Amino acid sequence: MTVKWMLHWQPKPGTTLSTQILTEACQCVESIGGQKDGRWRSVLTFYRPIQRDTLAPLEHPRDFLGLALQEQPFKYYFILRSNRIVVEADASIQAVMEKLQSYKARVTLHFEGFQYKLGDFQVRVGKCVPAMAENLRGIMMEVEYLPLSSIEKSRPVLEEFFDMWQEALSKKSLPGHFMHIESNFADYGLQDRYSSQHTAVQYATCMIQLMAAVRT
Amino acid sequence: MMQQIQPGPVAATPAASTNHPDSGAPAVEAPPKQVATAMERLSRAARLIADIRIGADRLLEALFLAAESPHQSNKIIQFLVKEESVMRQYFQDLRVLGKQLEDSGVLNGSLKSRGNSWGLHMPLVCPDGAVVAYAWKRQLAGQAGASAVDRTRLALKAFTDQKRRFFPHLEDEAFCIDRGLVTAKKFRGSQGLVTGHRDLLNKEGSVSDIITNLQLMAPDVRIFTYQRLDWLKRASALSTDHPGSSSNEHTYQNSNNLRSGLGNTVVLAADQIAVIELLVPSVFRAVVSLHPAGSMSPEAVAFFSTDEGGNYVHSRGLSVFHVFKHITGHADKALQYFQSVDMDISLSLLLRWICSYRTLFTDACSKCQRLLMMDKSLALVLPPVHRTYQITSATKTSPNQLPSSDKSQSCDFIFAYHIGCAADDT
Repeated sequence: MTVKWMLHWQPKPGTTLSTQILTEACQCVESIGGQKDGRWRSVLTFYRPIQRDTLAPLEHPRDFLGLALQEQPFKYYFILRSNRIVVEADASIQAVMEKLQSYKARVTLHFEGFQYKLGDFQVRVGKCVPAMAENLRGIMMEVEYLPLSSIEKSRPVLEEFFDMWQEALSKKSLPGHFMHIESNFADYGLQDRYSSQHTAVQYATCMIQLMAAVRT
Repeated sequence: MMQQIQPGPVAATPAASTNHPDSGAPAVEAPPKQVATAMERLSRAARLIADIRIGADRLLEALFLAAESPHQSNKIIQFLVKEESVMRQYFQDLRVLGKQLEDSGVLNGSLKSRGNSWGLHMPLVCPDGAVVAYAWKRQLAGQAGASAVDRTRLALKAFTDQKRRFFPHLEDEAFCIDRGLVTAKKFRGSQGLVTGHRDLLNKEGSVSDIITNLQLMAPDVRIFTYQRLDWLKRASALSTDHPGSSSNEHTYQNSNNLRSGLGNTVVLAADQIAVIELLVPSVFRAVVSLHPAGSMSPEAVAFFSTDEGGNYVHSRGLSVFHVFKHITGHADKALQYFQSVDMDISLSLLLRWICSYRTLFTDACSKCQRLLMMDKSLALVLPPVHRTYQITSATKTSPNQLPSSDKSQSCDFIFAYHIGCAADDT
C-alpha cells in the first residue's frame, strides 16, 4: 500500500472551525494543480461495552474505536489505544457485534470530503461531522505518495510536500494551520511497509487531537 | 513446401545465420528478410481469404439461381463444380501459407505474451524473440520530444547494430567516423575523465565483472540477471504477488536453475544474459535489456516503482507513475550518450548511472536545494528526476584524483536536478 500522511486542522486558540476553511483548502489544492477525483468517506465509531451486570468489575476495555475505510470496503479495523492494539477484521464483524450485544456504538463520526490527484500524489480534504448532526468537529487531510510504500523512504518526500502545502495555504491567512502528528507505528507492532492498519492508527491519533482541539 | 524454415530451438538461429552463411538450401534468412517475407505472406493470405469470400458469395448466388430457374440447372451444376474446385484450391493454399507463417514464428503464442505497451502493431517476425527491424521505431515513438540529432543517432545505432550482428567481418569504419564527429566538438574537455574511467572500466571484461564492481560501489542496489523469457515470467509474477507482501523484493527462485548465488548477485552463464534488473528496495526497479543476449551492449532501459508488476514491466515498458516515466525518458537519452561516447564501456557507464538514482527520494536538487519541485509546465510535483550523464569539463575532477582502487568515485560527477533546474540542456 502506498504511504499516507494524515493532517488535521489546528485552529488558532480562540477561533472556531467553519466550513469556509474547508472550501479554502479545497481551492488551494486546485490552485496547485490538483484534479478533483471524487468523494471520500471514512466512518469512525466509538464503542462502549454493554454491561449487563453493572456491579461486576469491568473486564473488557472501556472503549475502543472501529474504523471503516473507503479503500477497503471488505474490512473493518479496531483500535484499542490504551493497549496499543490494532486489528484488521472482515466487514461482517459489525453484524456479529450487533448479534452479540457486547458492545454498543456510542458515537459515530463521518470523515468526508473530496479527493484530488496531483501527479503522483493523492490528496483528500474533508471534514469531520457526527453521524446524525451537522456541526463541524474537525477538518482533516490525507496526503498519499503513490510510488512508494516504505514509510522511511517516503518521509523526506512527504515532509517537503507538507512544507509546500503549508506555504501555499499560508497565503490565504486562515485562522490556524494543518499539523501532522507522527504516530508511533512500532508501538502497535506495525512494520515499515505501509498498510491500512497504519491508516487506522493515524485516525486514532488524530482523534485525540481533534477532541483536544474542540475542548479548547 | 517450397522453402525450408527452421522452427524449434530459436537460440540457434542467429548463430546459424552468422556461422553458416552459405550452407545451401536450408539457410535461415536474416530477420529483416524474414519480416519482409512474413509481411508478403500475410498479404497473400489476406488476398486468399478475400477470394474465398467472393467464391462463397458466388456459390450462394448460383444456388439462388438454381432455385429460381430450374431449366438452367446443367449450366449451374457445371458452374458449381468448377467453383468448388477453385475454392478447394484456395483453402489448400491458405493452409500451406498458414503453416509457413506458423513455422516462421509469426503466429505462435510466445510473441503475444510479450506484451506491447506502446500500442503499436507487433513486430512480426523475430524467432529469437529479439526486436530487430522495428526496435528504433518503437523507441522513437515514445520520445516525441527527441531532437533530429537524437533520432538520427538512434536510427544509425539500430542499423549499425544489425550490420555488426549479421556482417561481423565488415569493419566498423562508419561508426568510428560518427563517434569522432559527435564527440569532438562538445566534449573536448571530457576525454581526460573518460580515459581515466576507461582504464578502470575496460578491465571489466564481462557482465559479471561489472556487476561485482557495482555491488562494491553500491551495496544497497540488488542486481539480478535473466534470460529474456525468464524476465517476463518474473514481471508477471510481480503483479500476482499479494500487495501486502514484500516478496517483490526477494530473490526470484528459478526452477531452471542455471544460476549460482553470489551474495546479492545472481549470475547466469554469461552468454545467456539478456535482461539485468537493478532493484533498490522501496525506491525503484530498473530493467536493462542487452542485445544481442550475452553481449555487453545495452539496448533499452526503463524505471518502475518497486510495487509495479505485470506484462508491461520490461525495458521498453513505461511505468504508471509520472516520476518514473520521466526518469525513463531521461535514461533513454543517457543511454544514447553513453553509446556515442564509448560503445565498449556503455553498459558499465549506464549501470553506474542508474545506481546514482538510489538517492532519488532523499537528495535535493543541486541547483535549487529542494527535494520536490512543482513543475509548472507539467503541473506535477516531482523530485529531482534528472541525473547528469554528460561529462563536461565543468564537472570533471582531475584524473589524477581518481585512484583506481576507489570504486566509489564513479558517481562523483553525477548531480541531481529537477526537470526545470537542469543546468545545461540534456
